[in-house]
Amino acid sequence: MKNVLVVDDSRIMRNIVKNTFTSLNIPCEFVEAANGNEALLQLSEKKIDLVLLDWNMPQLSGIDFLKKIRAMPQYAELPVIMVTSEAARYNVIEALKSGATDYIIKPVSEKSFKEKINKINF
Amino acid sequence: MEKYIHPFIEVCENVFRDFIGAELTAERPFFVDKKDVHDWDISAVIGLTGEARGAVVISMKKNLALKVTDMLTETEHKDIDDEVLDAIGEIVNIIAGNAKRGLEEMFRLVISLPTIVRGVNHSISWPNEQTRIICIPFKIFDEETFSLLLAIEAAN
Repeated sequence: MKNVLVVDDSRIMRNIVKNTFTSLNIPCEFVEAANGNEALLQLSEKKIDLVLLDWNMPQLSGIDFLKKIRAMPQYAELPVIMVTSEAARYNVIEALKSGATDYIIKPVSEKSFKEKINKINF
Repeated sequence: MEKYIHPFIEVCENVFRDFIGAELTAERPFFVDKKDVHDWDISAVIGLTGEARGAVVISMKKNLALKVTDMLTETEHKDIDDEVLDAIGEIVNIIAGNAKRGLEEMFRLVISLPTIVRGVNHSISWPNEQTRIICIPFKIFDEETFSLLLAIEAAN
């Protein structure tokens, strides 16, 4: 079973992201984190196959978490999809330059998840 | 100010439709007098920094906050609890983040984490005396209303 790490400081959003992902009928287990620091801890403790990552979070933001893990060779190829309200093109470009695999703008939809997940052959 | 208003109206309508499943009707925006007394029960505030400064605030009555949270979570809420605060904070976060797209030709903005203010007749302290605040009233669920308050000034 693959593990999907859902990182968002909003519990409601984590549930919405999990429910939307579940509707794609991809067998997986979810691991949750409320900020980048918690996400780093989860990465060190479990084998994670995909990260769904919010941008604006307390302590360690999603973009800083992304930059940190891309500097670690063991996570260089880990798929990370940003799931964020940050809709400006300059934000999308910054995330992709920082190593994001893809980008979904909130509010999330089943369609947008399906497109992005198909692209990474998860 | 008008050029800033339209992206927010459009985004607010889209976010409520796609996120909550509710249709909104935007009413005529107006400038807010900081001395005005309001009767909102909960407000969620996002600060704006970068090439402009200001804030985006969504304010509503308790019953509407509960109803919106019920719809988002598919569970019933009887009072303003952590989940209601989370829901209203996430709504303003999504509105502010999405509105950045419509404003990107004018400013590169950075949005803060949401801050929630609650309590009967609470008030919001705005950045400075000169800031003009626009209120965009919205109708939702036929009879209920909420306000999106907006202050943006180009940074020097």
